Amino acid sequence: MRKSSGVTAAGCELASCHLCYKLADSSQHRCSRCGSALHIRNQGSTQNTLALLITASILYVPANLLPIMITNQLGGTEPATIIGGVLLLIKLGSMPVAAIIFIASVIVPLSKLFALYYLCWYVQRGSAVSARQRTVLYRVAEFVGKWSMVDVFVVSILVALVNLGGLMVIRPGPAALAFAGVVLITMVAAESFDPRLIWDQLEERDE
Amino acid sequence: MSDMKPKVSSGKRISGIWFVPIIALLLGIWVVVYGMMNEGPEFQVSFESADDLEAGKTKVKLLSVDIGQVESVALTPDASGVLVTLKLDKDYKHLLTDDTRFWVERVRIGAAGVSGLGTILSGAYIKLSPGESDKQRREFVGLESPPLTEAGAPGVRLVLESDQAGSVSSGDAVLYNGYQVGRVENMQFDQDSQKIRYDIFIDAPYHRLVSQSVRFWNISGISLSASAEGFKVHAGSLETILLGGVAFGEAEGMPVGVPVANETVFALYNSEQQAMEQPYRFSTRYAVSFNQSVGGLVPGAPVEYRGIKVGRVERLLLKEMAHQNRSADGSGTPIAVLIRLEPGRMGVGDSQEGITRMKMGIALGVGNGLRASLESGNLLTGSLLVNLDFHPGLASAQVGEYQSYPTIPTITGGLGQIEQSVTRLLEKLNKLPMEDTFIGANVALARLDESLASLDQILDADATRKLPEQLGTTLVSLRRTLDGLSPDSPIYEELSNSLYELNETLKQFEELTRSLSATATMLPTPDQKDPTPEAKRL
Repeated sequence: MRKSSGVTAAGCELASCHLCYKLADSSQHRCSRCGSALHIRNQGSTQNTLALLITASILYVPANLLPIMITNQLGGTEPATIIGGVLLLIKLGSMPVAAIIFIASVIVPLSKLFALYYLCWYVQRGSAVSARQRTVLYRVAEFVGKWSMVDVFVVSILVALVNLGGLMVIRPGPAALAFAGVVLITMVAAESFDPRLIWDQLEERDE
Repeated sequence: MSDMKPKVSSGKRISGIWFVPIIALLLGIWVVVYGMMNEGPEFQVSFESADDLEAGKTKVKLLSVDIGQVESVALTPDASGVLVTLKLDKDYKHLLTDDTRFWVERVRIGAAGVSGLGTILSGAYIKLSPGESDKQRREFVGLESPPLTEAGAPGVRLVLESDQAGSVSSGDAVLYNGYQVGRVENMQFDQDSQKIRYDIFIDAPYHRLVSQSVRFWNISGISLSASAEGFKVHAGSLETILLGGVAFGEAEGMPVGVPVANETVFALYNSEQQAMEQPYRFSTRYAVSFNQSVGGLVPGAPVEYRGIKVGRVERLLLKEMAHQNRSADGSGTPIAVLIRLEPGRMGVGDSQEGITRMKMGIALGVGNGLRASLESGNLLTGSLLVNLDFHPGLASAQVGEYQSYPTIPTITGGLGQIEQSVTRLLEKLNKLPMEDTFIGANVALARLDESLASLDQILDADATRKLPEQLGTTLVSLRRTLDGLSPDSPIYEELSNSLYELNETLKQFEELTRSLSATATMLPTPDQKDPTPEAKRL
């Protein structure tokens, strides 16, 4: 019956406290140690993740269409979008820098979004093929997500450093805020996703 | 275990977390709608080239305020220019009127100075100059150079016409008594009229100085002229020497005209002298053909009537001469000169009526011997002038026609005439029988010599020598005779008495003649004129 994963806490009608991780009987409503509410699985985990993913997707549109950085250089104002910056760097021959920015700003957030969408869809639908790979996917998505902030860091550092009055001023564009929103919300979405649900599918199949 | 399932399932209850994407979506929609609502009008401006224009970057500015930007730059369908699509901010929609002007502001170094230095670093931008019309418009033709005067600036815009481009160019000053009151805005060549047209603008309040009777002239550079009236050097201020300019003023003695309206056309003269020389507006043209060299006769040379200027030479009718037949007598084609006569100078009035009267006068004069001739105006410069004068005794003539111009018959005059006379004189001198005269003179001298020799002999003779002595004795006897006539002598007394009596007789005779003259008028006078001496008619 429990070939692949052995005994699970949920299977033993035990719930882990979200805060102190103490195992308690699932019939109890509160943790006997810290007093926080007890759930076998995170409440509405998939729903939350999905809602946050949609929010991030919405924010991703202005993040790419609007200028992320506005350069005021000797009276001339030059707005730059993420893709515009990447293309400029490619044109200037800085392929490694272009690659870093492209990976951090486009590939990583997009792959994270799609990975989480996929996981949510998978958890809802209940297909239990290669759950281990999905766990890897989840871990990678969670780990790599924070590196997307590279873009936002670059902009904030430039804004702080390059402020030479009338000569040259760099200001963050509206896309910077949207992009930071995308990164933060996908991080929260990844956090709110309960990976145990992946394994629950496995249990169900096994049953 | 199955009772655990409902807790795990999350699809049944709608979580509050869904507000987050809904808010994000609403925000997104709001941003889009707001953006669309604030979308300014798009319009197109065509330029000759898209120099310095960049889609998405180049701004549209009015008084250095960004009010829009270039959306796209494309070639016109026939690739002869560029079509720039611009987007203006919503608030400035009303600026796109029928007479709004656009031009690209970039660095310009010209006569008026250096402008647009700021665009070196910031890049060029499109400048908008709002118009005054109420009519909206979306398609414009951009100016290639900035208008020198802001739209709606008070003043008056005039057009000057000139045959020669001279050194006046756009941006040059327009001066009145040496003070700048306006500027040349634009110049272009009008192919139809073959004239250069200058658009000039006179700032308020100086536009009131411009009346119908003012004249414009070019004061650019230094002009040196040698004419029938001598040498003249003329120069304006240093600025106008370097950059050129236009001046205007009232011609002396002209009535003050009424102020002019916009776009009034004036002639641009080459010099002040030329401008002021022609205070007369009405003139008529005549052609005069000369069968002699016209070297030294320049356009503008005076046409005089007995030394009084009545007009000027306009040009040689070279083009028209080509159509004229060569004269049969082998004297070559006469050189036709177009002259302009001004009735105002002749005292018949500067009007259309004056022209008619002058024409009648000339027609009458030609019948009575009025002829045009070339006279030397200035021996130093060799310049010629056309002189009109009466030459009585010439065969009667009348005003002819030469290529649609009326003509005045000519005679050879001036240096040409002197030349001919001298030639004729020399020819006669050549023909004189000089050698015969010299031989005759020699013979006469030899005879004279002989006569003198015989005279010498006469003087040397004895009788001649005695002459003084005989003369002395004659004088002594004469004195003796006179002594007999002294007042004491009886002859004198008798003579005195006789004279007294004669006097008395004469008095009586005088009375007689008086009574005779009173009766004499009653006599009939002879009906005959004194004979008059008369020259033999040729």
